Amino acid sequence: MEFSEHIKTANVEDVVLRRPFYQPTKGTLCVTGHHLIFSNRGGDSARPFLLLLRNIDAIEKRPSVSSGTITLKCKDLCVLQLDIPGMEECLNIASSIESLSSLETVSEMYPFFYRPPFLSLQDQWGLSSTEQHYAQMKEIHDGWRVSQVNRDYSVSPSYPPAVIVPHSIDDETLVKAARFRQGGRFPVLCYYHRETGTVIMRSSQPLSGANRKRCREDELLLQAVIDGSELGYIIDTRSSQQAQQARMTGGGFESKSCYRGWKRLHRQLEKGKVLQESLIKLVEACGDQSHSVDRWLSKLENSKWLSHVQTALSTAGLVAECVERDGHSVLVHGSEGTDTSLLVSSLAQLILDPDSRTLAGFLGLLEREWVQAGHPFQQRCAHSAYSHVRLRHEAPVFVLLLDCVWQLARQFPLAMGFSEPLLLRLAKEVYASDYGTFLCNSDQERCVTGVKERTHCLFQSLLRANERQHYSNPLYERTELAIWPSIQPPSLQLWKGLFLQWTDDALHLVEAQKVIQNLVSQCHRPLNEKVENTDG
Amino acid sequence: MASASIPVYNSSVNPLENRSSQNASRESLKMGPLADVTLLPGEERVIEHDKDIIYMCPFNGALKGKVFITNYRLYFKSADADPAVTLNVPLGVIGRVEKMGGASSRGENSYGLDITCKDMRNLRFALKQEGHSRRDIFDILFRYAFPVSHGLPVFAYLSQEKYEENGWNVFKPMEEFRRQGLPNEKWRITFVNETYELCDTYPTILAVPFRSSDEDLRKVSAFRSRGRIPVLSWIHRENQAVICRCSQPLVGMSGKRNKDDERYLDLIREANGTAKLTIYDARPSVNAVANKATGGGYEGDDAYQNAELVFLDIHNIHVMRESLKKLKDIVYPNVEESHWLSSLESTHWLEHIKLVISGAIQVADKISGGNSVVVHCSDGWDRTAQLTSLAMLMLDGHYRTLRGFQVLLEKEWISFGHKFASRIGHGDKNHADQDRSPIFVQFIDCVWQMTKQFPTAFEFNERLLVTILDHLFSCRFGTFLYNCESARDTNEVRSKTVSLWSLVNSEASSYQNPFYTPECSRVLYPVASMRHLELWVTYYIRWNPRIRQQQQSPVEQRYMELLALRDEYLKKLEELQLTDSSPNSSHLSNSSTPNAASPTQHITHLHTPF
Repeated sequence: MEFSEHIKTANVEDVVLRRPFYQPTKGTLCVTGHHLIFSNRGGDSARPFLLLLRNIDAIEKRPSVSSGTITLKCKDLCVLQLDIPGMEECLNIASSIESLSSLETVSEMYPFFYRPPFLSLQDQWGLSSTEQHYAQMKEIHDGWRVSQVNRDYSVSPSYPPAVIVPHSIDDETLVKAARFRQGGRFPVLCYYHRETGTVIMRSSQPLSGANRKRCREDELLLQAVIDGSELGYIIDTRSSQQAQQARMTGGGFESKSCYRGWKRLHRQLEKGKVLQESLIKLVEACGDQSHSVDRWLSKLENSKWLSHVQTALSTAGLVAECVERDGHSVLVHGSEGTDTSLLVSSLAQLILDPDSRTLAGFLGLLEREWVQAGHPFQQRCAHSAYSHVRLRHEAPVFVLLLDCVWQLARQFPLAMGFSEPLLLRLAKEVYASDYGTFLCNSDQERCVTGVKERTHCLFQSLLRANERQHYSNPLYERTELAIWPSIQPPSLQLWKGLFLQWTDDALHLVEAQKVIQNLVSQCHRPLNEKVENTDG
Repeated sequence: MASASIPVYNSSVNPLENRSSQNASRESLKMGPLADVTLLPGEERVIEHDKDIIYMCPFNGALKGKVFITNYRLYFKSADADPAVTLNVPLGVIGRVEKMGGASSRGENSYGLDITCKDMRNLRFALKQEGHSRRDIFDILFRYAFPVSHGLPVFAYLSQEKYEENGWNVFKPMEEFRRQGLPNEKWRITFVNETYELCDTYPTILAVPFRSSDEDLRKVSAFRSRGRIPVLSWIHRENQAVICRCSQPLVGMSGKRNKDDERYLDLIREANGTAKLTIYDARPSVNAVANKATGGGYEGDDAYQNAELVFLDIHNIHVMRESLKKLKDIVYPNVEESHWLSSLESTHWLEHIKLVISGAIQVADKISGGNSVVVHCSDGWDRTAQLTSLAMLMLDGHYRTLRGFQVLLEKEWISFGHKFASRIGHGDKNHADQDRSPIFVQFIDCVWQMTKQFPTAFEFNERLLVTILDHLFSCRFGTFLYNCESARDTNEVRSKTVSLWSLVNSEASSYQNPFYTPECSRVLYPVASMRHLELWVTYYIRWNPRIRQQQQSPVEQRYMELLALRDEYLKKLEELQLTDSSPNSSHLSNSSTPNAASPTQHITHLHTPF
């Protein structure tokens, strides 16, 4: 299919563009297969304004007799307006944007066409593989092994080809255990705690169903995890009522009698539609431009976004507490094991593991725990807070993760090797990107569509020298200690950098932050070569 | 080490029963539990022996320990808890002491003392019923926490503290006027109030329009509440626009006019050719009207034709007192968790902050535009002081320095008669006094909001603001004692007490903001939108160990380490270049490696407010 089929009018002159922080400007608007390009006619040297069509979440058109106005609401929460002379042009442009911004064929998306001079398709795609990750953790080699049981994605379509499992459990057992877990997501290792020798595992729910089926292999697998120690914790990210109800549709939970030594705790984390609606309400409250924004705090509370942040952080804190302070291994799961489980396990790792708090370490964590672990990015991030399209699988779980990480970084301003701009960049890229990293829903899909051969990897690009400096925290000072976040409501704040980033008021606050960053960076300048060497 | 501060993630179920208790250092606590406090010079124990007592800590439960009381503080240290819990409470902070429970009290620890503090906390102690230990402690506390009610001096008069700096020299009215370029051909300095005859709550030295005679001033004072006539607070160097402050005109029900007052305001207008003088009345218009009934009022259009009157809708001291009380209810001892944001909203505290800041923005903006303004409320010592001093902070970079800020407080608050003694109730037992109100706390909160929004514009840091508020109550320094200058003169505050600025300026570096970048001429307009105002958690909720608010101090500390590191590196580099014209690279990198490693020793960012 040709993109040109969708483009009835490619160029319009004398279009007025209105966007935050800029005076309205007149220029030429051009629609291409993946972008809106707006160039200023006046011949001034400013670069043309480029908008990825994929970034457009909602489009509203108001045509009149001789002209029309198109409002574009973007997934990065920016709202733009185009005043287009000529009703027909206006309608043509609007319909092009509508169809091109909602193309769903992965291989037609922009990352397959993005070819910047500074990157090569020959570069390694991704930062690390399961095998490489395992090789670095010498201390687990006795008790744990890499299993290739999923090499052809037949055991679990959403798992990567290789996973880390207890040494004593063979592939045959894994295959059987996988049949007892939704989507074949049997318990796998995601973090090993050196001091206590305990681990964090994650999986999907067991398929015990209404008649309380058991699976010996699954029980063996979990038994092997706590072999020697008497207790392990299963943190179920559903309420116990939800877990009970799941049995009616074939799911369930680990019963006490079948999994001896494992104790189950329920912590209800919202996901799916509830989370998406929370984001919509929050963005609506933030975008309310009327200046008498009274009842702002009530509106913020009603969105419930911060209480989702609180629950996520406190559940992660609980997991970390079990591992670090009590020396017990933990298994985290909800139902599918592709959303809240990943949220909790990755936050717990950030709390515990100094290696995951460096710039490279954090990106590595995201790659392992979200990209490789099969968070369905394409489904979750198809639309953001403005879309009028009926919701299907959208949910801002990844944005919630980034918000929680921001809260951690705010409470521990020296502990993270990366800075707020990195989190903001990721929040934007996850919805619309030049890179292939967040395309598709699983590793398998990425292989089938050739993402790893035909697109560039965002994480690789973020670690290039000049980007790296921009996204590093100049105040960073590694601490080996766990960073326990306070989850009391006054300790949690709205992430203004993300949710209020397009409001005029936020502008000078951002400027002030930049000044501080620059001041600190300046002291690094003479030391720069050293700092680069010490950042791991 | 971070253990004391770790929040509880698992409140409903406790899977972590077998928590191993770490009591390695318990031995050391047994010997002389209270020996580790250094008393201030002039501080004396008023209870000779340490008393056994139980502190009902809202965060750690009942803690057995010992307490002693001096003429300055109450000090408690727990005996069993690890790490030990200590309380170090200046008696000035205490607002109310009550006995709880009686002879018939049943429940465990239900017999004791309940202490309400002025700094957002309450303390509860349980005592044994036997002996008269409670009566003894109660009597002593009551006497020494409220010395004024017992005809005793406050601690500031007993203190023998000595500092390198004399803080009483920070503010010299004439010097400050000269810094502003006064007197000039439009404004003169008058000593008409030298003996506090014109106005007993004003300072002795005043700046007034050049063309007004002292006789005019006397006539005007008759028409202004408590004689607080319009006088100059600040003048804009370039456009000569001025901020004047005063109290309400005594218009009354009959709508009285006063030609002298009208002419006087016109002189203010004329001084820099302002077309229309703007009068900012800090009150809501309804209140201004209501004030007519008690003889007050506002400048009517007919009488003041060259003036425009703007009401700023800021509520009175009673509203502010109730608002902060509501805030305390939702943050102490426990934070209202389930509906935190809407509870916070219903205290209206941030909304009041917003109104004060946006009022000050309007004043500053008028001045920047070259128009003179007059600011008043009813008496001109609460809301007026907030507005003029905040506007001056926005307009004049000098007040954003460590010393300039002290001058601002000395000038706009202390010398112009903000009634600190009445608003705080220093040493006074009458806790329900309707004159008490946290107006100054609210002002410091507004300053804090500005420092958050302009992190490089202020030479001082958050620690200074908290220190100021601590000593607003403590009565250790004379700075905030009494209601006005005339009372301070009578009681010889300057010669008999130490100034807070002596302490601050003797250790100035710990109150300095390392990110400070002076931009004197820049006018700061903070964002007064509810979305950008924050609750000052580090102050209002500082007693709660479960809150880990963003503390600026670790960031400041880290930055200073990095600066030192850079300087050291540059120095080394220079030395090497001097000794060796072709520096060998391996030598260079070796020499700086230990430096790069040194700051990682610190783990300051895990410290809690305790």
